[in-house]
Order: sequence, then C-alpha cells, then structure tokens
Amino acid sequence: MIYLDHAATTPLHPQAAQALRAWLDQPGAQANPASDHAAGRELRARIEQARAQVAALIGAQPEELLFTSGATEANNLALKGALEFRGRSGAHLVTSRIEHRCVLDSARWLETQGVRVSYLRPDARGRIDPAAVLAELRPETVLVSLMWVQNELGSCLPIERLAPRLRERGVLLHVDAAQAAGKLAIDLARTPVDLLSLSAHKLGGPPGIGALFVRKRPRARLSPQLHGGGQEQGMRSGTLPAPLILAFGAAAAAAAAEQPALAARLETLRERLWQGLRAGIPDLTRNTPPAGEAAPQLLNVSVPGVEGESLRARLPALALSSGAACSSATREPSYVLRALGHDDALAEASLRYSLGRDTTAAEIDQAIQLTVAAVQALRDIARGVPPAALAATDPRYPSPVWQRFCAPTRVGAVAAAPEQHEIGTRAGRDRLWLGVWRDASGRVQQACFQALGSPYTIALGQWLCESLSAASGPLQPSAAIIRAALEIPEERAHCALMGEEALLALSPPVIPA
Amino acid sequence: MPVYLDHNATTPLDPRVLEAMQPYLAGPAANASSLHRYGRRARHAVEAARQQVADLVGATPAEVIFTSGGTEANNLALKGVLAAAGGGLAYGATEHPAVMEAAESLRATHPVSVIPVDGGGAVDPLALQTLLQQARPRLVSLMCANNETGVIQDLPRLAPLIQAAGAWLHVDAVQAAGKLPIERETLGADLLTLSSHKLYGPQGVAALVVRAEVPLAAVQQGGAQEKARRGGTENVAAIVGFGLAAELAKSEQDQRRAQLAPLIARLDEGLARLPGVVVFGHGRPRLANTRQFALPGWDGEALLMALDRRGFAVSSGSACASGSGEPSHVLLAMGHDRVTAKGAVRVSLGRDNRPEHIEQLLAALTELAAVPGAVA
Repeated sequence: MIYLDHAATTPLHPQAAQALRAWLDQPGAQANPASDHAAGRELRARIEQARAQVAALIGAQPEELLFTSGATEANNLALKGALEFRGRSGAHLVTSRIEHRCVLDSARWLETQGVRVSYLRPDARGRIDPAAVLAELRPETVLVSLMWVQNELGSCLPIERLAPRLRERGVLLHVDAAQAAGKLAIDLARTPVDLLSLSAHKLGGPPGIGALFVRKRPRARLSPQLHGGGQEQGMRSGTLPAPLILAFGAAAAAAAAEQPALAARLETLRERLWQGLRAGIPDLTRNTPPAGEAAPQLLNVSVPGVEGESLRARLPALALSSGAACSSATREPSYVLRALGHDDALAEASLRYSLGRDTTAAEIDQAIQLTVAAVQALRDIARGVPPAALAATDPRYPSPVWQRFCAPTRVGAVAAAPEQHEIGTRAGRDRLWLGVWRDASGRVQQACFQALGSPYTIALGQWLCESLSAASGPLQPSAAIIRAALEIPEERAHCALMGEEALLALSPPVIPA
Repeated sequence: MPVYLDHNATTPLDPRVLEAMQPYLAGPAANASSLHRYGRRARHAVEAARQQVADLVGATPAEVIFTSGGTEANNLALKGVLAAAGGGLAYGATEHPAVMEAAESLRATHPVSVIPVDGGGAVDPLALQTLLQQARPRLVSLMCANNETGVIQDLPRLAPLIQAAGAWLHVDAVQAAGKLPIERETLGADLLTLSSHKLYGPQGVAALVVRAEVPLAAVQQGGAQEKARRGGTENVAAIVGFGLAAELAKSEQDQRRAQLAPLIARLDEGLARLPGVVVFGHGRPRLANTRQFALPGWDGEALLMALDRRGFAVSSGSACASGSGEPSHVLLAMGHDRVTAKGAVRVSLGRDNRPEHIEQLLAALTELAAVPGAVA
C-alpha cells in the first residue's frame, strides 16, 4: 500500500514518536500540568518548551500560542472568538468558497448570529486574488479568514502581500495554516497575520492537538469559546494533554529544521508525479497551480472520461483521497472543485495525491503506473475493449459486484452488434450500453457491454451479458432478482433498476419462444 | 519518586491501555474519515471504542460523542442543548468550572440559575424543587461526585424531580466514572460527561453521552465527524485508549474499590486524630478515593508546598484553578469561610497507592500539624 494521503494525516515524525514514547514510558504517576506540586510544575515547564518549539516554527513568541484540540477548534475559536469580541450583529466577515469545511461551517453559523459574510470565488486554479479581498472590504469588516495552502488543491494564497494591506485597513487577518506549516517558510515576525491556525497531525505530530496563534502586538482580541478552568490565559479552558503537546513540540522543531530541504524534495517528486501521469493520460486536468504557486506536497488532478468511484476502487494499492478526508463521509463531489467550475462528474473523477516526508521516488513511479493502468482499464470498459483484470479485494463491495468489476469478460464493441441498447440512470452519471446477437428464433446467443459508471454499473453490465448468453429460460425483468443476484445494498438499488430497465428493453424477445 | 496522591487531577496511563494504543501511535497514519484501507481500519477502531465507552454507562454507541476533553464535553452539553432547544439552565453551586463557566457564559442569552448546596455539599431536594418550579429550566447540570470534596450527589433521588419538571439532566460524571457505578438509567441522566484521563486513559479525549431524543446543536463546527455534532479529525489512538480504559473501569470497578477501602479507612482514621482538622463533606457519602481537609493555621498552598517538599503530590483543590489564589468556590458554596476554604488540601488516591503511602502521609501531616503553617 502506497500512502499518498499525507494531507489527511501524516505519520508521526520519529522525533515526535520519541517524545511521546519518552513520556508514556516514564514509570509512575503522570501529572496534570495545572497542578502545583513538583510533578505538575515540571510538566508545565516542559509544555512551555514545546510551546516555544511550535512558536519558533512560525516566527511567533511562545505566549502568542494557545493550544487547542486541533485546527478545527483553532479555526472555530479564531472566527467565533474574533466576531464575538467585536460584536456579531452587523459585523462583516470575508472568507472564500474553498476554505476548509470548519471555516465555512463556522462562517455559516456566524451568519445565523447576524454576521454578514462574503464568500470569495477562486480562479480556475483555486487562487484568491488579494485585490479581490481588498475590494470586498467594508467599513464594518472585522475579519478576513483565508487558508494559506488550499487543502485539496495546494494553491497558495499570497499572504505576504495581502497581510500588510489588511493591517493598513485595520482589518484582522486569520490564516488557516494547517497544510502550510512545515511545507512553506512562515515568519510571523515579518508577516502581519493576526491569527493563525496549526494542526499537529498534518506536520508529523499526533492528532488531537493544534494551536492558534493570537498576536500580542498589536493585540488580536478574542472571546473564549470553551469555558472552564481558565487554562491558556483564560482563552481555552481544559486540561492540557501533555503527551500530545510534547510530541507536537518535537514535531514542530523537526519540521522547522527540515522545511527547506523537504519542500524542495516534495516539489521535485510532485512534478515527477505530474509529468508521469500526464505522459500516460494526455488529457489529464491539473487542478493544482504550477510549481511556485502551489504548496509542494499536493497534486490534484481530474480525469475526464472515467467515473470517480470506479477510479478509486481500481486503485486499491494507493491510499489517497478524492478531496478532504473530513468530507469523505458525505461522498459528495468536492465543493472546492465545483467552485473551480468543474461539473459534478469531473469533480468526482478527481484524485488528490498528497506527499509526505517518507514518500519515495519509487512510490511515485508506482503510483503513476497504477493510476495510468486504472484509467486505461476504465476507459477500455467505456469504449468496448476488454480491460486488464485487477487482482484485489475490497470489503466495501459485495463479492458478486467486486469480482465482475475487477475482471469483466464481456466488455466488447457494442457498435458491432446488430441490436444495441443504451441505459442510463436518471441522474445521468452512469451509462451502460448493451450489444446483442440473436439467433433466428430471437433467442439471445451472445451479448457484450460498455459502461461508464460506478463499480455497480460495470458489474451489472457483466452480469446482464453473462445471464443473457446463458439464459436457458426466461430472464425476468425484476430489480429484486438483480439485487439478490449481485447482493446490491439498499443505497445502490438504483443500479438494479438500471438492470431492470435493460431487461425490459430487451424483452419479450429474450424469453425463448 | 514522589508519592502521587492527585488522581483526581489526572491518573497515570494504564500500561494495558498504552499497549492497545500502540498500533495507532506507531502504525501507518490514518484519518478515520479517509475511505482507503488505513482509514477504514481506524474507523473500525473508533467504533469499537465507542461501544466500550457506551457500555460503561449503559448507553448505545450512537449516543456517544467523542470530544477533546471533559471541558469541551461539558461546554457542548450546556451550550448545545440550549442552542438547540432554547430555555433556561440551572446548575449546582459546586459544579466543576467547566460547567460553571460554560453556564455563566450563557447568562447573556439564557436565564441561568444556581442550585444551592447544604454544608455537606449536597443539593437539597426541597431547594431544587422550589427552583425548578420558579425558574422552569430546560436543562439542569449536576455532577455525580465532586472533584474537590468527593461528595456524591444523590442523583437517583434528584433526577425524578428534574424529570417531573420537564427538564433534561446533564451529569458531569468525570470524577465518578471508574469509582462508582454510573449506569445512566440509575442516575437519570439525559446527558453525561466522561473523561479518559481520570480513569487511567490518555489525556486529550473525553465523551459526551447524549440520549437520542435530546436535541443538541454542534458547538464546534466543521466536518461531518461525530454525526455532525462535533467537527474535527478523530484522535484515533487516544480514542482507542479511552475505550479500553472505560472497559477496564467497568470490569475492575469492584476490585479497585476493594483495594481503596482499607486505604481510605486508614486515612480517615489518621485525619481524625489531627487536632482541629476540618474534613470537608465529613459524614457524607464521598468517593472512596477523595478526601479534602484543612489543618488549623495552615494555608492550603503552603501545606501543599510543604507536602511537596516531603515527596507527596497533592492538590489544594481543582487542578485547573490552581494558582489563582482564590478560595475554592465549592467550599464557599458549602458555607465555609474564606480562611477555612483557603486551607483546603485534597488527597485523591488511585490504583498505584499502597498502605505505606497513607502511613507516610499521615506521619508527615502529624508532623506539620504541630508547627505553625506560616514558617513552612
């Protein structure tokens, strides 16, 4: 398995793992860092060292960092805290349509509290023009919240150019730097960002910990969003999870030391990946901006002429995603790609490769080969050429579906058949073409198919052809029978309806006289 | 190696829990929301842990929301219910700051009332009844056992009153979990907070258990995790550890109580011999691991430091309020004067304590009780 999903989460850096281990393995009691006894005080000192390590990564002062449970909480705190402090009613917030879900959801929530929000549109490569940001400012604008590196595309915001302009205008700037930290050089001593979110597990630290930078001079003011014991200068209550913080510190120190070399290496690998993919798939669309305008670790591509779910199912040896992991549960095409102007089908047929510090050139070459082969196979199925078989298992699919999807033997040129049928789902995302040869009595002798659609659609085409050719008796046009034969689950029942539709189109002559 | 007597602040990680976390700390990275194989493996682990946590309180897994800690869970309970259902809130005067401060932050937008306690730290059913009739809160928040005094609230008696008044009950069971049976039905809790690092699990993870019919709005927006009730990437290793810690807390609860019983009996006996000692919540049902007391002439912080120098890690009250110099709101609510309250020191025992630890502590306390606190 080749792991190219480092933007979702990246393995613990060895130094972070060591810090975590050193903590977890120490014998005897562990302390609450807020406790006043010796163990508590010692732990507090170590947490402050970790805070300094994280601060150093971004050119901040240690006292400017608040530890949070992750970037989601940091982003929530930045947006809600800043707007609550300034008064929400009638206040104005500027953000964009391609922010992380947690920023967009926070902005939507703020709208319910009387905040007016402008959602900027990106260009076709996911870039936000600083001039467009400035043009959106109003007298009542309190905060601009934009991400430094777009998490699906890798496009970079020119923060260094934008930040001073916002400072002149007296508008707070919050930057979600979850994907930027450790990949780009960040120096907040020189860049007048007011609030900046970090996530440990995107830069080699553990999940469950993040930080919000809150500038002290000039002071960015927030209202706390988690109330309790008053930890973190009263801005974020809750027991500090010491082991996570110590590991975050170690990861940040390592990231700071490795950043320039890592960025150069990842950029080389990313361009190698792009060149290799494009050589094998000439009509591939690159959604990530060119090198120099994009963070080095990300490559997002869309593949015309294939269906997204089948594409990912054909890549079982690659751990990657079609977009942000946190939105995966909804299985909807990426809102980020749709914001770029992609239609649903193209947005769905997208792959996000995200590279990390342990990614090798050999893995990149393998990823190229596997992707090109997967696209080739799916395009073969769509144009009626028998595809290469895939040997793999995937427990998400019922076995009768998976077997037929991996090795369909009845793919053939439908145009060559005397009788042709085209069947599609109502949404039009799945298409199935059947070619049928009959004997003089009208009995089906042979059938072939082409398909552009999900694994279920491809398996359905294969099953129909098998069943039609082998039919010794009548084939009843029943979705229930097809569902049972292929073990199609409830949420995919529409695929069985496609099969029923196909059989209806073929009947009554399917039934031998 | 100091004698650790501060288990209510945080408990050491159980080695078995660490073992269970190991594959997720050292193994391939996995975001539990990713659809690839590693992501699905992480998802299975998270869901298994959800079952373990649900089992501890007799809930169903779908009712468990993982959060970053007890503070977030308490904030989510109070703010989430009021945001979804509107109405007012009532909370006990001795609640943890995570409940108290979250409740006070709601005062601008919702009616908020404080339920008084008696001198032993217990909510008086009559006082509660009156408040329920007058304030008609939508949500009542009461802790199962107090983190400072260890006093156990008689929830099986109070909950029916709350239910009859048409309010939901949120129970902060952070300190009770693993020490008392906390069957949700018995407590009458509609929402219940648990924290991993108070029951020998890792820090940085906790849960809010919410009965399915209770409306709850998300407080932290982003992502569709936790059924859109709590956005944020799941902390897989910590969740796995929490799950096992919860399972062990249930299966070993009797054994742990049996181990503590002679220790706490000896501590009670020894404390009683100290001249002029005030034991808070004395005579009331209390957690079998927690005793809070004051020695005459001693400021709590000074006594803590004196004990610290002698190798005992204790607390003056709740760890998170440490260093504020303010007397405990819990003790003030119980009617103690500021000087007595400021004298408080809390001893909280755990699995790693041995009889000799108690003897050593009592010897130190006897010695310190004989000298004026000011010179310590």
